[in-house]
Amino acid sequence: MKFRWGNIFLLVLGLVLTVSLLASAQLPGGIPREETLIVDQLTGRVGMPNNFNLWAGWRNQDRGIQQLLLEPLWTVDYATGEIISGLAADLPIYNDDFTQMTVKLREGTYWSDGVPVTADDVIFTVDIHIQTPGLLYHGPMAEYVEKVAKTDDYTVVFDLKIPNSRFHTHFLDRWGCLRIMPKHIFENVEDQLTFEYNPPVGNGPYILNDYDPAGFWTLWERREDWERTPTGILYGEPKPKYVLFQWFESEEGKILSQLRHEIDMAQHTPEGLRAVLDKSDTARGWRRDWPWVVNIDPCITGIMFNNMVPPYDNKEVRWALTLAIDIVEYMAIAFDLMAPVSNLHLPPVPAYTEAFFIPMQDWLKEFELDLGKGETFKPYDPDVPNRIVEAAKLRNYPIPEDPALIQELFGFGWWKYAPDIAEKLLIKNGFSKDNDGKWHLPDGSLWKISLLSDPSPTHHHFKNANAAVDQWRKFGIEASTAPTEAFNTLVLNGEFEVSTQWPAAEPWGAGVDLSRTFDPWHSRLLTPIGEPVSLGPGGAARWSNPALDEIIEKLEKTDPFAAVEETVELGIEALKILIEEMPTIPTYGYCGAVAWDEQYWTNWPGAENPYSQPYQHWPNLKYLLPFLEKK
Amino acid sequence: MKFFRDYFIPRIIQYVLVIFCGITAVFFIPRLTGQDPVLEIISQIQAQGASLDASAVNSLMKTLKELYGLEGSLLEQYIITWKRVFTLDFGPSFFQFPTPVSDLLRTYLPWTIGLFVTSTLLSWIIGNMMGGIAGYFSHKKWSKILDAVIMVVRPFPHYIFGILVLILFAYVWQLFPAGGMMLGRKTILNWNFILTILRYSFLPALTLVLLGGAVWFQQMKLLVQNVKREDFVQYAHIGGVKEKYIIFGYVLQNAMLPQITQLALALGQVFSGVLIVEMVFSYPGVGLLLYRGVTRGDYNLVMGITVLSILTITTAVLILDLVYPLFDPRIRHK
Repeated sequence: MKFRWGNIFLLVLGLVLTVSLLASAQLPGGIPREETLIVDQLTGRVGMPNNFNLWAGWRNQDRGIQQLLLEPLWTVDYATGEIISGLAADLPIYNDDFTQMTVKLREGTYWSDGVPVTADDVIFTVDIHIQTPGLLYHGPMAEYVEKVAKTDDYTVVFDLKIPNSRFHTHFLDRWGCLRIMPKHIFENVEDQLTFEYNPPVGNGPYILNDYDPAGFWTLWERREDWERTPTGILYGEPKPKYVLFQWFESEEGKILSQLRHEIDMAQHTPEGLRAVLDKSDTARGWRRDWPWVVNIDPCITGIMFNNMVPPYDNKEVRWALTLAIDIVEYMAIAFDLMAPVSNLHLPPVPAYTEAFFIPMQDWLKEFELDLGKGETFKPYDPDVPNRIVEAAKLRNYPIPEDPALIQELFGFGWWKYAPDIAEKLLIKNGFSKDNDGKWHLPDGSLWKISLLSDPSPTHHHFKNANAAVDQWRKFGIEASTAPTEAFNTLVLNGEFEVSTQWPAAEPWGAGVDLSRTFDPWHSRLLTPIGEPVSLGPGGAARWSNPALDEIIEKLEKTDPFAAVEETVELGIEALKILIEEMPTIPTYGYCGAVAWDEQYWTNWPGAENPYSQPYQHWPNLKYLLPFLEKK
Repeated sequence: MKFFRDYFIPRIIQYVLVIFCGITAVFFIPRLTGQDPVLEIISQIQAQGASLDASAVNSLMKTLKELYGLEGSLLEQYIITWKRVFTLDFGPSFFQFPTPVSDLLRTYLPWTIGLFVTSTLLSWIIGNMMGGIAGYFSHKKWSKILDAVIMVVRPFPHYIFGILVLILFAYVWQLFPAGGMMLGRKTILNWNFILTILRYSFLPALTLVLLGGAVWFQQMKLLVQNVKREDFVQYAHIGGVKEKYIIFGYVLQNAMLPQITQLALALGQVFSGVLIVEMVFSYPGVGLLLYRGVTRGDYNLVMGITVLSILTITTAVLILDLVYPLFDPRIRHK
């Protein structure tokens, strides 16, 4: 046969078409697409795909382990501000001096292999953690638990060594907690740390079906007896028969997959979200209109000072830097005006607006800074949301007229843009400005700020850094961003001056207890520079205050469920101290760019009907699934 | 004997020295980045809002430091590293603890080798063949058009070209998948599995072959254009040697020598060469593994991959040096 290039070309073309058309199975093992919910996995490719033992270390628990396989005693839902009792029948009961906690378990729940979930599982879990250093929750269990016992098969009593009104929070799931182990599996295990727990036995509504040995995906299948799990008992049948968690290395691949209806629930970058909404007829964001993003995340972003390093150990310097920020411009640079601002060390989410933001408005309006020589200044500006609205109109975004909605979208207010006041505060503290408008430190040297940040441009740390540097440069400070892969290590070790680490630890997201936010600032946790702090968010600011210490200690002796008013009052007092001292600058609430595809599934928990928290990676996904509707 | 003294032994000494310096550098460089693997893990857990209180975190820090073998002086760790190199046991990956680095390499390396070696060989063969012919007939119109097309393709960064390919073949014409979901599955030797692999590997391979092939094409074209002007080629023409023989026997064979060296070096890049393409197409390879290791301060993982990389490249260069006299009589006679 005579050699012809044309023949070769046709052969290659034929092979390509065969490959592309014949191998059409998209899902593992021929799983039907219309029965499957496909969600994006947040924390990356699973490093140990064959290991499900999340009690022993980091196991990418958002691959479905925490969402579908396991149910905790309690879960936080920040969308509703409630605590959901899962394996527990109700909230915990403490005795008067918080040395004893009683937990009533829900009856009628079973492990996926048919064994009932009972008090014995809880007791075993706690005991094995006390005995086994290396298990993640060994520390608190060994430190606090004197004895754990049952009074009947569904009632567990914890005797505590040290009074602790927050002991239950170790079992309260908000993206992690001590989950109950199946005693009948783990009691036969020789080494709890190396045991792979594969295939895993769970008490949640799904069991493992298959997984990718390279860690790109994990497939779960609804249990036949889903009604014998807390999810089934509380909310009914989870609608998808299968749930597939998939990791995409590139944002582009994820976007294209969602446009092809190959992923139902994904978290993108803000730019990626826009691309999906722009090109897809079936995709939607948390809001159907601009600004689309989830703005009820219980996390606050902002700027962190290292309070052990001069001049940031001076609260007037910290306040000067705060007043040198025009928050409207800042928001335009950082997040295209799409997030709610917050001047409290809390995100303005439903759980906290009623309890803290609204009650504190009057105090904030009257709050004054002492500028010296009898001069004072009221820094609060409740008009900021309206100024953001005006800026958004200039960008032709559709803006609602309803003041309540404006508040929901853009927050309650922030600090005034007052460079003149900032200047007074700095001059009062020995700073000087040269003829070029550049600021100098009290020792005469040029004031330079190298703002340490996470290197990913999509991260809120990076976005905050860009905006802050822009504002401070305008004010006359030689500021620059310093993005580095070593961000986490440097921040925890205190090897920075100013950074964009989380300015405060995320609160629980439900109830009125803010202890989780305040605890990292207790003086007992302070460490010298060079030694890591244990609680990075908030705590890496290396700041403490005796009055706040007292409040934290009072909170430890206050029942967050029985003494709600007292808990709120203590929370407000602590927030006031944080404002006066400004150890970190909170700027805006974290926003997640979630896109849902309505090609196969509808009734997502969007802003118009926020029946559940909206993320696929939170443990509450299981409580969302019964509400989905097949299209 | 003279060959051994002047040629073989110096190259063996050079080989050992390069490995020693490379591994020493790989030991120290990650430790100079300021990243602490324990703190990176803690931050990862805290960043997701996980509920670990201070005592749990402190206990975890202590445990992880012990488990990772990060206690002891730098010198002690350096000595342990050499022990690991000699046994090719690089210990556990920190970030994927307690999975041994060797297990991770066993999982991911075959995928990278499959994609990278295939696409490198294909791009080398196609690029050199086309470049050689285009270089010999450089005065022809088709050669000039081909050269112009290659000039456009070649400067594309892998990332941009990969996305372009992805948009065209996975979105505009939905012929191929957008991600690497089915890849990485347990190997089952059946027709469907092979088709699946081909289907998911096609676009990353296409990206690598086109961009790699363009480089080989341009190099070969320039080499051939130079060689065909050499006296011995002119002499062959005058002597009436058939053109087909001149092309393959005189011109291409001489122009191929540096390309063979380049091929050996290119194959040595298997550990990091396709990182960007792996990212764009979510391909389960070792490049991504290395990237994650670097960004998370996973010293053992970085050490495992780079040591293999150093050994592969230096060994490839050594073998090439030793066998080069077989290809090139000028060196043999020197």
